[in-house]
Amino acid sequence: MKSPTPPRKKSRFSFRLPGRPVRLIVLLLLLGLSGYIYYLDLTIRDAFEGRKFALPARVYGRALEVYPGLKLTRGQFVGEMKSIGYHENPQPDEAATYKNTLNGLEFTTRDFVFGDGTQPAQHLRIAFADGKVSLLQVLGSKDVDLPLLRMEPPLIGGIYPGHNEDRELVRLNQVPKMLTAALIATEDRNFYTHWGIDPRGIVRALYKTVTGQRIEGGSTITQQLVKNFFLTPERTLTRKANEALMALLLELHYSKGEILETYLNEIFLGQDANRAIHGFGLASYFYFDRPLDRLEPQEIATLVGLVKGPTVYDPRKHPELALKRRNVVLQIMVSQHVINQAQFVVARRKPLGVVERAPAGTSPYPAFLQFVHLQLARDYREEDLRSEGLRIFTTLDPFVQHQAEEALKSRLAKIEKTHRIAANTLEGAVVVSSTQTGEIQAMVGGRDARYAGFNRATDAQRPIGSLIKPIIYLTALEDPQHYTLITLLDDSPLLWSQPGTTDWKPKNYDRLFHGQVQLRTALAQSYNVATARLGIALGVEHILGKLPLYGIERQPPPFASSLLGAFGLSPVEVSQLYQTFADGGFRTPLRAIRTIVTADGKPLQRFPLNVEPVAPPGPVYLLTAALQGVVREGTAQSLANWLPAEMNVAGKTGTTDDLRDSWFAGYTGDRVAVVWVGRDDNQPSGLTGATGAMTVWGEMMKNIQPEPLEPVMPEDVEMVNVGPVSGLRYDAGCKSGVLLPFIKGSAPAETSPCDASSADASAAKAEAQPDAKADLKSGVNQDTGKKNWFQRLFN
Amino acid sequence: MKNRLSWIFIPAWLVLLAGCASVVIPPPATPAPSGTAQPGEAAVIAPVPKTAMSDNRAVIALLDQAQTDNGSGRREAAGSSLERALRIEPRNPWLWLELAQLRLAQGQYAQAITLARKSNSFAGRDSRVQAASWQVIGQARVAQGDPAGAEQALKLSAELAQQAKADHDPNFNSQ
Repeated sequence: MKSPTPPRKKSRFSFRLPGRPVRLIVLLLLLGLSGYIYYLDLTIRDAFEGRKFALPARVYGRALEVYPGLKLTRGQFVGEMKSIGYHENPQPDEAATYKNTLNGLEFTTRDFVFGDGTQPAQHLRIAFADGKVSLLQVLGSKDVDLPLLRMEPPLIGGIYPGHNEDRELVRLNQVPKMLTAALIATEDRNFYTHWGIDPRGIVRALYKTVTGQRIEGGSTITQQLVKNFFLTPERTLTRKANEALMALLLELHYSKGEILETYLNEIFLGQDANRAIHGFGLASYFYFDRPLDRLEPQEIATLVGLVKGPTVYDPRKHPELALKRRNVVLQIMVSQHVINQAQFVVARRKPLGVVERAPAGTSPYPAFLQFVHLQLARDYREEDLRSEGLRIFTTLDPFVQHQAEEALKSRLAKIEKTHRIAANTLEGAVVVSSTQTGEIQAMVGGRDARYAGFNRATDAQRPIGSLIKPIIYLTALEDPQHYTLITLLDDSPLLWSQPGTTDWKPKNYDRLFHGQVQLRTALAQSYNVATARLGIALGVEHILGKLPLYGIERQPPPFASSLLGAFGLSPVEVSQLYQTFADGGFRTPLRAIRTIVTADGKPLQRFPLNVEPVAPPGPVYLLTAALQGVVREGTAQSLANWLPAEMNVAGKTGTTDDLRDSWFAGYTGDRVAVVWVGRDDNQPSGLTGATGAMTVWGEMMKNIQPEPLEPVMPEDVEMVNVGPVSGLRYDAGCKSGVLLPFIKGSAPAETSPCDASSADASAAKAEAQPDAKADLKSGVNQDTGKKNWFQRLFN
Repeated sequence: MKNRLSWIFIPAWLVLLAGCASVVIPPPATPAPSGTAQPGEAAVIAPVPKTAMSDNRAVIALLDQAQTDNGSGRREAAGSSLERALRIEPRNPWLWLELAQLRLAQGQYAQAITLARKSNSFAGRDSRVQAASWQVIGQARVAQGDPAGAEQALKLSAELAQQAKADHDPNFNSQ
């Protein structure tokens, strides 16, 4: 460094040095400038290093397991294959291709890294018969039967860095030479020789612009990369200068190869709803559904052409402009010897060939994805989720999800019409889970399922009304000395005073009181007063204190009115509650995530099945029988319009004050589902649980084709034939009795002769055994049963 | 000529061998405990062929996979295969039992007990699977330091094993 002070001795030949203040100013300016450059250097290096590896988390749905005997049609399977990007091909021996055969399909899977290892690609044959898979074989020199095939899971969304930037990382050596050559020929011919800025390029651009030949940018690839890092719309001289400085700095720190690789991954190449498509790797899939190394020259030209303006030259929105631009690039490619004349002639004649695709944004299932994201946020830092390229395997079943979305959308529109409700005022939410494993298969957050807004399935806390009742009845049934399904409950007027709240006078929905009613009838008809009396007798605190046991963390107000569900829960919380009833008293926390795997395929975290026994199986079996009564002869009778009696569905309707909330929660042999319908502004919708939510439930389940509900009878339960009204024990063979489950030792001891002319005989024999076969036997008698119940109600 | 002819028999041998593989190998001829089982001791439970656990070959393949993984210490992978099987047959008591045994081996005793109970809840009248479930419960209780509870469970397991023998072994002579 030079000495800061000039020599005192004056030299004759020396220039006159500026005065001290000026020198100081220059020094300060230099200091400031180097400080500024240092700052720019830090910024650009930070951006470069940071962006280099920012990979979104990929979220997958469940992988379809295919095996002989599985209920699956050819149409469903083709739908599944299309959803994971398979293409029809007369020679289906390339990964992700298929062809139709006489009674099935021939197809080739892809290599896929699952949480438990890599599954190599296989060439297979599948056949279907009677709505089932009838044959599954691996094709080879000799065809071999395959017991089980796990398909690749569908990609259902991502958790993206920055402004929802999505990318598929590619290494420079994976990128076809033709692409890099075409890119450099089109965008920056001196890329390998300049220092970040290209004076010759600028001059040429200026010349062409001034002479009116063409308007050109003159930015180098390095400058464009810098610009992409800090996407701001302003076009000022300072910004240009900053960009140029940063480009120079980048070139100082990194090799041409590194810069080019980052550029290839960073450049913005399209927009898919709220998801930004960055880099050529992803763009290749986004526009052509194929990896980069399988693109043809004209497709490479289309992508390179997009660099100039992804919006203007969007091949889906502006195909003519895109085609024009592509041909310009092809022209450059041939003149710069990237392709030869013959290739040029062939390529120029081809159409754009962009695959059709509806905009999907960050996920077609925003409600479910939001739920997954929230669960992940408990264990992972947000920046890791958005940049580490984690692969998240979830439980979503696109088929079930689709049925749930469709049922909600179509039923709400129909209900609005038939009930003369203004169009698009009703809203709803659906949650479907697997009974035994607690896996969430579908989640719909609103009737516009694609809209990533308020997720009613998790965030709408609405009064649950009668959905709470099973907890009260289960608590009673856990005490078989005092309560059985036929214990008489008192449904007469009640006035309840409790300090801290106003007096409570519960009413029934029909505004009547029904006197002495059997416990099962009180639940089936959802009598509020009988239930309130039962709950008070068992203890309000005792009942409400049980909620945490069933996985409900929220504590309702400690008032008797909470016994009738005067507190809010979300549909997903209600699902958790009913999951335990459906699963014989075992609580399995609802799960949306199965496994998390790192970007390089190492298992990171598993969410194993966890089960906790929270209610004894005997009383739960009795409760299920009573909830089947709700569907067979109670408030949910009209579910028969959707599902046959053999399904033996157990369920409960919920309706809140002034018909603001319409709920239905129910279960089949394999699924638990909860539907809420109401208005976002909490105004009355005019719907009961049965006229609103239950119809959505029925429509959805009809299409899902669930398994019938046939719980195994626990050892401490016996079936006893009793008089439907008298509650006296009948002979097993007595046709006028009703077969009900009892905890052993709690069935009535007092017997009565089987009398066809008694009141009991005229009442229905509706067996309440939660078993499909038993129900079929009694099917004949059900009509009379309904009539008599009807008559009794209006006595 | 002789050599060439002997090749012909190889496929026949293979067919025979393949046939043998699916034949249930009878359990070792341990003397059946006479009368009631010894308390506190795990009963000998006759192995059950996988074809009796499920008639779905996909489930059997996953069970095989789980056992292979478990045998080589890949417990997480074994658990993941069992969960796959459970998604196909969620009400199969044998699968819940396998998962219970896996959790027992992993030292997750409370989970092992719950899963064994869950197996029982689907077992119906099948005493073979019940005997094995109660054995898991007994062993888990031993590990939890509950000797009284363990003894109770193991005694029940032994009784059920005896019952199973009577139900499923045609040669068993219950007097």
